[in-house]
Amino acid sequence: MKSISEMVTKKPWLGWVLFTGTIGIVFLLGLLAASIIERRSEAEFTYKPDVIFGETEPRNEIWGKNFPREYASWLETSDTNFRSKHGGSASRDILEEDPRIVILFAGYAFSKDFKQARGHYYAIEDIRATLRTGAPKEGVPGPQPNTCWTCKGPDVVRVMKEKGVKGFYAGQWETLGSEIVNPIGCLDCHDPKTLNLLITRPGLIEAKSSMGIDVNKSSHQELRTLACAQCHVEYYFDKKKYDGVSYLTFPWKNGTSVEEIESYYDSIEFTDWVHGVSRAPMLKAQHPDYEIFMTGVHYKRGVACADCHMPYINEGGQKFSNHHVQSPLNNISASCQVCHREETADLIYDVYSRQDKIKEIRDQLEIQLVWAHFEAKAAWDNGANETQMKPILKLIRQSQWRWDFVAASHGSSFHSPVEVARIITHGLDKAREARMQLQRVLLTLGVKTGIPYPDISTKAKAQKLIGIDFTTLQKDKNEFLKNTVPAWLSKAVEREKKYKVKYLNAE
Amino acid sequence: MIKLIKKLLPPPSWRIPLLFVSGILVGMFAFLFYISKAHTYLSDDPATCMNCHIMAPQYSTWFHSSHRERAVCNDCHVPHNNFLNHYYFKAKDGMRHATIFTLRAEPQVIFIKEAGQEVVQQNCIRCHGDMLNSGNTKMYTTEYDDFREARHCWECHREVPHGRVNSLSSVPNARVPKPGSAVPAWLKNVMNKKK
Repeated sequence: MKSISEMVTKKPWLGWVLFTGTIGIVFLLGLLAASIIERRSEAEFTYKPDVIFGETEPRNEIWGKNFPREYASWLETSDTNFRSKHGGSASRDILEEDPRIVILFAGYAFSKDFKQARGHYYAIEDIRATLRTGAPKEGVPGPQPNTCWTCKGPDVVRVMKEKGVKGFYAGQWETLGSEIVNPIGCLDCHDPKTLNLLITRPGLIEAKSSMGIDVNKSSHQELRTLACAQCHVEYYFDKKKYDGVSYLTFPWKNGTSVEEIESYYDSIEFTDWVHGVSRAPMLKAQHPDYEIFMTGVHYKRGVACADCHMPYINEGGQKFSNHHVQSPLNNISASCQVCHREETADLIYDVYSRQDKIKEIRDQLEIQLVWAHFEAKAAWDNGANETQMKPILKLIRQSQWRWDFVAASHGSSFHSPVEVARIITHGLDKAREARMQLQRVLLTLGVKTGIPYPDISTKAKAQKLIGIDFTTLQKDKNEFLKNTVPAWLSKAVEREKKYKVKYLNAE
Repeated sequence: MIKLIKKLLPPPSWRIPLLFVSGILVGMFAFLFYISKAHTYLSDDPATCMNCHIMAPQYSTWFHSSHRERAVCNDCHVPHNNFLNHYYFKAKDGMRHATIFTLRAEPQVIFIKEAGQEVVQQNCIRCHGDMLNSGNTKMYTTEYDDFREARHCWECHREVPHGRVNSLSSVPNARVPKPGSAVPAWLKNVMNKKK
């Protein structure tokens, strides 16, 4: 073969072919390079959010633009149509259904108004509407501190960043009325940057660290329970930590069982209120959902709250957590039947039978407690002294604490029926002891006839008996809702207009 | 060798322009190598598979599976029976993927091809062989060899590890590695400083 040099010298056009041919190849390679760059930069746009918002963006609807499926399912927490046998998402007047509770909470705000909580969507609406938060107005401060807002929504994260934790807890409830306006949502549990689960409430972090546990080292599956345990727990307001501040504290230093928490309260001589009928120094259990769930078999097997209350669902080929947090009884197939291959009716029967049986013994304890309160009142009325009454009142405190720990805990009779039955049994024993000692005191005071069980067949009768003027309370509340709340809302709208939100895609 | 080069050399009057053009040709190849991150294809890093963003469903489902702790993409999807076959298959499969991606010919739902299935099956056995060879299995299953040869593990273990069906749009919020910008950081710094 001849060399190229010779060929080109003989036929110069061959040189030109080689030259333009090489240029053509470079050109085509350039096109390929352009195509690679194009596909490579697609990746930057494929996984880009529609909206970029600030680190304390409290508005769920803004997050919802990036996560439409999660947001749409969260919106369903506004549904109030599901009623199970003992719970559900409908608003149920607990005092109406069980007027004995009016007596048990005499002297405490829960005797005024106690409704079963509706979905997360209503957190703000319902705390404004309950009689427990009173009707604050100019010159008339409300009965509750700002601490009551702590679990009500993502604005809490924002205000805590602005004012500090202590600053947030300080002051009366109405002073943050215009600040806390968005109901429980995205920022409460999620890191705004990575969307990872994030513990935002200092109460849980501090409580766990008091037990020697670092919450930040939790696994994802643990966080799917701990996110809920930020609020669904027993707590109290520590007023001694800082002057004039109701510091939200979980009483877990000694442990999380009903006895360990009680021993903690006893050790700091804590009392929620003095009972309006018996004058016993009472403890109010808030909602020890997490504490009781931890004693149950599902927890033992590693099941998280979210596994049943926000199970995975599939929509349009995409798997995600259902953010319609609700009773699993309304979603048996996605919640229970993922593990339990039984008929729906059979599974529901299992839940109801546990709930019914616990309700049965819980009611017995309630009756004993109502009686004990009125017998104690009779003892005081007939001239009993402090020394005689002190051990009895302590027993009443212990007994009702056990009742309340079970009654206030959402789903307790399903989450851990054996533990709950154990607690109620001890409660019944304390009530028995209290009533027996009361009989002795009453006899020494010359009261020989039994103290009759009061007529508390309706909420109205029970409230009248302990001197609650429901009509006036409701009237004041209506005025507050009509006059004060709209002013809060318009202030909030003005503030939220200033938040920085960047829309990457045209609206 | 020198003879060959001499044969390829153009006449002196052509040499200068051709030197430039062939330089551009070589440079273009180098550029292609760089922007396609060709060097990463020699590694076993799962992020390499994410050079093509349409692999996000496969990547993120694997990332949420237990296999993440033990096996990367290549452990299952490339043969490990011998060195040559390993790289031959990797190159062959890689070229096919690259071609389809460049032509924008990818289907909405990606399914594994037969050749790939055989590789995965052999890799299942490579790690989980003990389960197939134990006396227990043989005792329970009279059609043992039949099962081993005629069926795929995932006919029963259907969710392992990617779940059942993954369309290209099944994980819109997944946080997956991206190839990133082709402009190096130092150059960006220089350009930003000028502003």
